[in-house]
Amino acid sequence: MMALLPLVASLVLDTSVSWLRMLVALFFSMLLGLGIGILANRSELAERIIIPLLDIFQTLPILAFFPVVIYVVVATLPGYIGINAAVIFLIVTSMVWNIAFGAYEAIKSLPVEFVEVSRVFRLGAMEKLLKVDIPAAMPRVVDQSMLSWAVGLFYLVTSEIFSTGSKSYTVTYGIGVALTQLASRGNVLDYVVGIVVFIAFVVVTRFLLFGYLERRFIKRSGRAAQQPNILSRILLHQTLVDAASKRISGFGREVGRIAQQGPGAAKKKRAFAASGARRATPAISRLSASRFYHAAVLIAVVAVVLLLVTNQGIRNDEYLVLVALALSIARIWLAFAVVLLVAFPLGVYIVFLTRKGTAYLTLFQIIASIPATILLPAIAFSLRGQSFSGELVAFIVFFLSGIWYVVFGIVSSRGTIQENVMEVKKVFGVRGAKAWRYIYSKAVLPGLITGGITAVAAEWNASIVAEWFTTSGVSNGTVITSVGNGLGRLLDLSLANGNLTLMIIGLINLTAVIIIVNRLFWKRAYRKVMQVYK
Amino acid sequence: MLKIEKIHYEIGGADIIESISFDARKNEFVSIIGPSGCGKSTLLRIIAGLIKPTGGDVICMNKRIEEPVREISFVFQDFALLPWLTNIDNVKLGLSYFDIGAPEKDKIAMELLARFGLEGFEYAYPNVLSGGMKQRVGFARAIAQEPSILLMDEPFSSLDELTATTMREDVLNMLKTKDIPVNLVVMVTHNVEEAVQLSDRVVVLSNKPTHVKQIKAVPLKQPRNTRSKEFTGIIDEIYATLTG
Repeated sequence: MMALLPLVASLVLDTSVSWLRMLVALFFSMLLGLGIGILANRSELAERIIIPLLDIFQTLPILAFFPVVIYVVVATLPGYIGINAAVIFLIVTSMVWNIAFGAYEAIKSLPVEFVEVSRVFRLGAMEKLLKVDIPAAMPRVVDQSMLSWAVGLFYLVTSEIFSTGSKSYTVTYGIGVALTQLASRGNVLDYVVGIVVFIAFVVVTRFLLFGYLERRFIKRSGRAAQQPNILSRILLHQTLVDAASKRISGFGREVGRIAQQGPGAAKKKRAFAASGARRATPAISRLSASRFYHAAVLIAVVAVVLLLVTNQGIRNDEYLVLVALALSIARIWLAFAVVLLVAFPLGVYIVFLTRKGTAYLTLFQIIASIPATILLPAIAFSLRGQSFSGELVAFIVFFLSGIWYVVFGIVSSRGTIQENVMEVKKVFGVRGAKAWRYIYSKAVLPGLITGGITAVAAEWNASIVAEWFTTSGVSNGTVITSVGNGLGRLLDLSLANGNLTLMIIGLINLTAVIIIVNRLFWKRAYRKVMQVYK
Repeated sequence: MLKIEKIHYEIGGADIIESISFDARKNEFVSIIGPSGCGKSTLLRIIAGLIKPTGGDVICMNKRIEEPVREISFVFQDFALLPWLTNIDNVKLGLSYFDIGAPEKDKIAMELLARFGLEGFEYAYPNVLSGGMKQRVGFARAIAQEPSILLMDEPFSSLDELTATTMREDVLNMLKTKDIPVNLVVMVTHNVEEAVQLSDRVVVLSNKPTHVKQIKAVPLKQPRNTRSKEFTGIIDEIYATLTG
């Protein structure tokens, strides 16, 4: 083991550089998110265009686009400016949608009287912006930023680890890079120290940065101030899956918002509608969203068919992509099935069967704050050379990426479950298998769905490093682990070979699959379930 | 039939219930009334065996109550129907104590729902029901258990006044029915008039730390004239005790 002090010092340096990227990304995300949210409220047309786009972007596994982003950005801005810009850009794309939605919803639900006040007192556009819109949006923006930060960390770590794949685009400093190097040297203890340093940074950031932002912008009502304990407040992963309900565009967003706020919010919502305030948007944006989508899909399909018919090269590429995609889908959903098998009893246990639920939750939140991919170098290097190492590594990374979202989804849906469910169970003596069948499994279903959609998305995000991991950027290693074939692997190889066309075709197919599964499966399942659960 | 002996309940070091004792006899309707926060709902849950008191006992027919039993059932203030189960499945939850087959449970549950005027709604979900209808499902579920004691936690307070009036009458009629085994009802309420209208005795509780201030008998014959001098006199007495 390396001497402790220099090791910690160098790790702190690396993590600080990573954090710098995060802070720059956060700054731009807040700026952009605020801007987009305000813009979407300007006119109905703006709303109809922007919101569906946000919905789409939020459901896409942005990380899968990283190879393309690297290719394009590094070609334009070579050197360490380029690659850092690419990483920061990627982190922004992971954070900005949540924040934009938050700002949009906050301004949208402003009582109509505030708008009237600004008209009566003839506030100029700038003044209204500064005195009404921005202050109204800030609490939600800060709230969503904390959530986005957690998501961003996953992207940060994964993109840094990914970048070790080639000398031409490795970032020089960063916790992801540092850990990859430590893993390649086989230093287990050093690796653990690295993770500890990482967690320390996460905790400190929560206290200093977000604590400050919270105090400044969010006035806590008594209810909200009663968060269970400091540690769970610090890590806040529970709210990560509340955002998942927003991924199920329109419908889920509305319910997710209500669920997040608890029972009193349904009343607030009614009052809001009754006060003649702005029209109930989800219905409208859903309607125009579907028109927008249909038009876009039609154009896309026509374009695709034309291309396929006229171009042999594209046909070949498409074939390659379809095969790779099918395998990745199988892999990801298999891992997801295992995630469900584990998360369901675990979630039910935490919510219903134990009194130490909060303690377990806090423990899991700490574990979950470590992005699954940060363990990838360790897992990959230790399993390297074993048979099936590629598939095994992919499976483990997918599993770890997805499991916490489902667990937290189940646990956070506890707020929507009536308090007297357990009383009913006890009074009427519902026990054992009956309890599991009639109570537990049904009660956690909404949470399973909202958690599930985020889990699968997270798995797709991880696929570019889970299916193909190489560290030629920082060591003289060749490919460390790789699956036989898969979309993540295909995208990585295309980057290595400079095959932009293949990358783009791959991404188009991936996007199509994600959107189709989202609409035909997740949204339908959620709607069906929520019709009955109120 | 039901003995509440020196119930004491504290939480976080603070005494909520100091000492509550009273008896409830067969064929009685007992109301528990008290100021907000005095712990009457908690007391009811202690009687149900849902909460453990920090001191004292609940004795039901010579048996100490430490957990829910089949003989004691419960009707909730917010109905507490499981939203993901159909109405008939909700009622069937009340049959969990019985080791009978599914078809027989179905039959019993359908009969109960019909008896409570919910024919046609068996396979619907609670979300299509009005408040009054939901509470009727709640009653059907509670009666399905064939309890001898029925506990009710402000059963009408989530209903509008019109529905509540109808339901109060329905409950009194239901209790007169021969084949319903309930012969003791304990109801928690904050509505003094409701308590005097329905009960044989009213247990009036104090503020925290709670004890029994008075047990007022209501010896009027049913159906009661809510405008009679005796009726209003009793109401005034209870108000006086509550605020005194």
